[in-house]
Amino acid sequence: MNTQLDLKEMERKAFRATYQDGLWDLYFGLIVVCMSIFVYRPASGYSPLNIVLALCAFGVAFGLFWAGKKFITLPRMGQVRFGAKREKRKRTMIIALSVVVLIQSLLFVLQLIAWANPGLGERINGLIRDRNVMDLVVASVGALIVGPSMILVAYFRDFPRGYFIAAMIALAVFLMIYLNQPVYPIFISMLIALPGLVLFVRFLRNYPLHREEALHEQK
Amino acid sequence: MSKNEEKVGLGALGEIDRLVHEPARLAVMALLYVVESADFIFLMNQTGLTWGNLSAHISKLEEAGYLSVEKSFKGKRPNTTLRLTVQGRQAFRRYALQMKQAFRDFEA
Repeated sequence: MNTQLDLKEMERKAFRATYQDGLWDLYFGLIVVCMSIFVYRPASGYSPLNIVLALCAFGVAFGLFWAGKKFITLPRMGQVRFGAKREKRKRTMIIALSVVVLIQSLLFVLQLIAWANPGLGERINGLIRDRNVMDLVVASVGALIVGPSMILVAYFRDFPRGYFIAAMIALAVFLMIYLNQPVYPIFISMLIALPGLVLFVRFLRNYPLHREEALHEQK
Repeated sequence: MSKNEEKVGLGALGEIDRLVHEPARLAVMALLYVVESADFIFLMNQTGLTWGNLSAHISKLEEAGYLSVEKSFKGKRPNTTLRLTVQGRQAFRRYALQMKQAFRDFEA
């Protein structure tokens, strides 16, 4: 029997306990659903409404996640603040993600420039003549942008299920762009959300609401 | 092992802080040692102690000056935040060193 008191492992266990509610999985599943419904390229072409609806849907998804953490998880699990090392990791993650977002923004600006200059767009299209290959390239670039940023989150937030979510999101983005069908990413979103749902139900069962402390405080 | 050596070993064990040595309090202190602060419910879930049990151990640690207890409200919900004091951190480190030393002596 290992009776060694491993403080590092204890801290990691306490940290990972905050993921036991499955809300991150449900949140990312919802994000993929929103993305599949509102961001895919409809036959009628993109419209500003697509982007507005997508932003609203992402906002609603985040609102649900935040409310779940605040009103369901915290009263059951309690609150904890981790030490300086975790804060440092969080800061590093923010810097790394900022770099990724910067690259994504640059690509977005390049795309806007291409849209504004049809001649430039045609020249880029001319480089890759086959439409299928073009879609494949765009889908791969999309997946490569989204996947690594989620891997960064999984690594810095010490969230093992995040690697699976990263792979699934990258696949969802790839299929969404390449096949331009929302049904495949919606199926993938279910694969992401299902473990979260199981964890959430288990969490509700294992972590009942505590009334004792409230009584204690009133004394 | 000579009688003198045996006496030294037992003497070292006698110096161990009994307040920290009790398993439930040791679990509470170890957990609070690795985090900055935690509330009552988080500690209860992580240690598996009941409300009454944890409350009693916290009172003892607070009396010894090892824990600081901060009571506040999160919205309408009362919240008790606990953290180890400098004295508590020192006591935990000292305890860990003493136990290591004691078992090293036994192995030798």
